[in-house]
Amino acid sequence: MQIRVERLRVRYENFELRVDNLHFSANRVSALVGPNGAGKSTLLKALSGVIKPVAGSIFVDGRELSRLRGSERARLVSYVPQEHSTALNFRVFDFILMGRSGYLNIFSPPARADYEKTEEVISYLGLEALAARKCQELSSGERRIVLIARALAQDSKIILLDEPTTFLDLKHEMEIINLLRKLAEDRGKTIITSVHSIDLIPRLADFLVMIKNGQILSAGPTTEIFRAELLGTLFDYPLRVVEADGRQLILR
Amino acid sequence: MTGSKRKNKNKAILYIAILFPLLLLLFSLCLGTLRVSLKEVLEILLARISGWPSDLLTTPAANIILNIRLPRVLLALLAGAAFSVSGASLQSLFRNPLVNEYILGVSFGAGFGGAASLVLFSRNFPPQVLAFACGLLAVVLVLVISEGARNTLVAVLLTGIIVSALFQALLSTLEFIASPYALQALFFWLLGSFSQATWPDLAWSAPLILVGLVFLLKLGWRINVLSLSDDEARSLGLAVKRERILIICLATLVTSAVVAIAGIIGWVGLIVPHAVRGLVGSDNRLVLPVSAGLGASLMLLADDLIRTLLPFEFPVGILTSLVGIPFFLYLISRARTSWS
Repeated sequence: MQIRVERLRVRYENFELRVDNLHFSANRVSALVGPNGAGKSTLLKALSGVIKPVAGSIFVDGRELSRLRGSERARLVSYVPQEHSTALNFRVFDFILMGRSGYLNIFSPPARADYEKTEEVISYLGLEALAARKCQELSSGERRIVLIARALAQDSKIILLDEPTTFLDLKHEMEIINLLRKLAEDRGKTIITSVHSIDLIPRLADFLVMIKNGQILSAGPTTEIFRAELLGTLFDYPLRVVEADGRQLILR
Repeated sequence: MTGSKRKNKNKAILYIAILFPLLLLLFSLCLGTLRVSLKEVLEILLARISGWPSDLLTTPAANIILNIRLPRVLLALLAGAAFSVSGASLQSLFRNPLVNEYILGVSFGAGFGGAASLVLFSRNFPPQVLAFACGLLAVVLVLVISEGARNTLVAVLLTGIIVSALFQALLSTLEFIASPYALQALFFWLLGSFSQATWPDLAWSAPLILVGLVFLLKLGWRINVLSLSDDEARSLGLAVKRERILIICLATLVTSAVVAIAGIIGWVGLIVPHAVRGLVGSDNRLVLPVSAGLGASLMLLADDLIRTLLPFEFPVGILTSLVGIPFFLYLISRARTSWS
């Protein structure tokens, strides 16, 4: 499933983001990078339909996102925030089950099919040991995985993630990177994620979108635009990209 | 605890929550100055329900059971269930264990509405209508005024206090202009009591409460999802604003329908859901029905105690406040560590 953005203008609090033209292909991992406050999260929120654009359109497989009903949208696009609110201390299983809400009528609780989908996601991610625990008992790495599990239960072709690896230790960071690749390659998901540490990008993303001051600085295949000059301009800091073991590495 | 054990435990708690209020109902009908045995109570109820003409129904005991105790007991059960379910729903919706209909201004709004109806139209017009309208007005005022504040909880609590104070002032104005006769009725009603319950009152309130409760219980899963952040709930496909409004209206409806005939009985909706979450966890598919059963039972027990232990009619609303307010303070002192 692909996403096309046309002449988009989004306002969030006092910030405005403009995207003239952007295209995300299906079955790819795309990364959004840029300095803090550049508009990565705003773009993700717009793509997820959580905030409505002031002008312009987002098309998901040709259907305009803002015209879809909430439940229809939820079946196409899921959104993984950095943290979930933990007002109520749900069991992990019930929390993941909430991903099924877009398939349910307002007065109906989840049915057998929803439980089955949730169980399938839990076994796919190997979360059996967590399922009976309470959300507030989880470590931050476990919480991120559980949030991704909820998005998988949502069973949408497109998954948007807001800096899914920030504050995680190295092992959990790599687990999530590998999982996102696997979801794109094996399960045909279209992944769009904002990324805080640019070192991860060559491992993670096929496609790269550089955002600065609410505008797209550059967008293209990672192999083409992951260049020292562009990254330096993006972050206002001179950087070098070197190759070692066939991989691109960033030197600060 | 393993999954199946927990499920069994929760099922058991749910059955108890449904059965206990029913048993308590029968027991409560026996209580009072005139002792009536359980057997007699059952016979009288059966005779009444079956509709067969029976000598039993003409006895003084039958009159007391059917026309005085039964409406009172039913009202206490409905009130406990209504306050507890609306409290639990609102706490999830506002993501805060301190929120309840009292804090949101609904109680005093509905109280003023009911009183105004009593003073303006006497008993010729159902007080539920104005009670609901003013209860809703109060909660809308609280939400509109506190919207956009940085610390929403503090803002909601403060505006709740202010809006409640406004409706209390309006109530005082009513009391000032009311006739001495109306004033006496008003005074006792406002303190919160089931002693004045009659069938005509219940005929209006009971259907409203039951319908509201059924819808709230059916919304349990949605209320779970709405306890996440708005962005999350929206991305999961919910029409967040519309669904919130629906739930707030239902919670206000059941509360006002009780307040309109029983007066202001606060804090039940704070205590019961808290205890229930301790028992069964956070899932509102379970929390709401168990709160209904436990709240109904506690309310009826409180009324039974008042009815049997004290030689005079003590307003149950005072009792719930005396218990509820210290509990509220205890929760505030704990809220710094959780749910903050």
